[in-house]
Amino acid sequence: MVSIFKSFSTWIIIAIIAAALPIVFDSSFALTLLSKMGVLIIFTVAYNMLLGQGGMLSFGHAIYFGLAGYASIHILNGIGEETLPYFPTVLFPFIGAIVGLFFGSIVGYVSTRRAGTAFAMISLGFCEMVTAMTLIFVIFFNGEDGIQTDRMVGPTPFGITFGPQIEIYYLILFWCLVAVALMYIITKTPFGRMSNAVRENPERAAFIGYSVRRVRWQAFALSSMFAGAAGSLHALNYEHIGFESVSIIQSGAVLFMAFIGGAGHFLGPIVGAIGLTYLDSTLADVTEAWLLYLGLTFSGIVMFAPGGLAGLIVMHGPIARTDKNLLISLIKPYLLAIGSVITGLIGLIGIIEMLYFRSLISKGEGEIIIFWREFNANGILSWLLFIGLILIGIFLSKKTFPMAKESWDNAITVVKTEISNE
Amino acid sequence: MNNALQLTNVSKSFGKAKIIQNLNLDIKKNERHAIIGPNGAGKSTLFHLISGHHKLTSGKITLYGKEINNLEPHEINRKGLARSFQVTNIFPKMSVYENIRCGMLWSMGLKYSIIKIVNRNQELNKKTNSLLEEINLLHCAHIPAGLLSYADQRALEIGITIAGGADTLMLDEPTAGMSNSESERAVKLIKQVSENKTLVIVEHDMGVVFDLADRISVLVYGEIIATDTPNNIRINKAVQEAYLGTEDH
Repeated sequence: MVSIFKSFSTWIIIAIIAAALPIVFDSSFALTLLSKMGVLIIFTVAYNMLLGQGGMLSFGHAIYFGLAGYASIHILNGIGEETLPYFPTVLFPFIGAIVGLFFGSIVGYVSTRRAGTAFAMISLGFCEMVTAMTLIFVIFFNGEDGIQTDRMVGPTPFGITFGPQIEIYYLILFWCLVAVALMYIITKTPFGRMSNAVRENPERAAFIGYSVRRVRWQAFALSSMFAGAAGSLHALNYEHIGFESVSIIQSGAVLFMAFIGGAGHFLGPIVGAIGLTYLDSTLADVTEAWLLYLGLTFSGIVMFAPGGLAGLIVMHGPIARTDKNLLISLIKPYLLAIGSVITGLIGLIGIIEMLYFRSLISKGEGEIIIFWREFNANGILSWLLFIGLILIGIFLSKKTFPMAKESWDNAITVVKTEISNE
Repeated sequence: MNNALQLTNVSKSFGKAKIIQNLNLDIKKNERHAIIGPNGAGKSTLFHLISGHHKLTSGKITLYGKEINNLEPHEINRKGLARSFQVTNIFPKMSVYENIRCGMLWSMGLKYSIIKIVNRNQELNKKTNSLLEEINLLHCAHIPAGLLSYADQRALEIGITIAGGADTLMLDEPTAGMSNSESERAVKLIKQVSENKTLVIVEHDMGVVFDLADRISVLVYGEIIATDTPNNIRINKAVQEAYLGTEDH
């Protein structure tokens, strides 16, 4: 899966497609969405240098994203008020990178002494601390209001003012490609390989000559650096930065994106960032219960597919390599299992939507649109229908899941015998 | 300097429990030295002390005359001492190939580089391939190490241990849990990879020990009661009483 990045031409194709997207999706909504995706792809892939590549669970990585954003806004304002010398807007991600690297190096030095729970707790502590500071040091953070800026400052070479959103999109796209390519290359270096090794088995890593702490610290600092670059672009994109950008909210969002997409694979966080940003922007308008669904999805992934979406695909790689027919034989049991789950989920979503509807809308009205059809949230029939669907889903799942698991077990046994026979 | 490793008055306590007491041991350069002893004698603790996994309570350990007892495991490894573990200790989700290649990175001077691409380093990949051939795992180089059979994982573990080119090797029960034929293959491999190197081995299988070792030390309750050639150990009264007599071997 990762190997598709190996050829240079793949990168060119991705760049061309991404550059053409605004032509196809030319609404301002789409442009804003695409810009946001670009920023969050950088941030999520950077975060995954810790979570996926290095095996460090951070609950506070937005610190470096957000602080870089604040620094960028202050510098933009300084340039605008001519208290600071001009600095090209194109190079702003460097400012964020330096800020991220600086704070990441300090916090990383302290927190990477320990991994696992201690590391996670320390990251959470730092996150709360910085969030609290945004409300205390009003002169820098301006409390809950955050700070505004105007990104149109200084000279405008080639008529590029970075005023129109399309210009910002291409700026973000350019840096997104550069950052993702760099982070991909880093996974192929001695540091990148040892980062994986430390994740897998820190004890072993020490006994092949590597300081586990140094590897973790370096991963932390680099990850913060790229997060900072993303933070700068975030600030340019919105011309505003608020306390939530350093808070647990943003830290949690990036964790969700990396984990749901699949932390174990380089592509996973990209899939997660694109998918969740899209759903966040579209589903949030359709349903009030969007965050509930997000939470359920996350829990479901943690419980049933800890490798995320990318992990689900990649775990079938050995089977596909051994025998294509083996993979095809899995399709039917999988579809049956997925079908049963979807049946149950439709029921569950129906119930959730009607509950939300009843708690939000005055009692008199009952018409609600669920899955493009109108239902009566006050009528017993709708409730029976959706509860019935849940029950059918559970009943079918109990039959189809063991079948799917058995097919998978059979396939993997074949693969294992192939390996040992070689 | 004839001694590769020298332990002087080494003691280790965990709380009140004294696991190793005033232990003295010299491992000569290029010898194959086995440490045997009943369960709980402190063999694994001794390994952990030498490799820096545990810190000494008192005493001194030197490697080629240089004190190593205050160093971190990775620093000791860089001085040319590598070890394997009693419980298989590999990188299970990484490929067999990557396991070996990671073991080589430091000795190739690649350190923590973020600009050199490992796939492009021809010498590194050539060495990885030849080591994989030596430990007989080349055919499954690209399989996740965790999917290997138990015996192959043990072979891989030895491969990782020798990958860095250390001249002092410490193997902790390398044949534990193996069938006879697997064990024979492992012994052959160990002989081969420890050629012209110092080998310290902890082993329960007396057949393996007497086959491999130039000298044997017997560790009982944290003390070494004898260090001698296999033949002399066999007839040593104290050893027979304290150890061989109590168990069937």
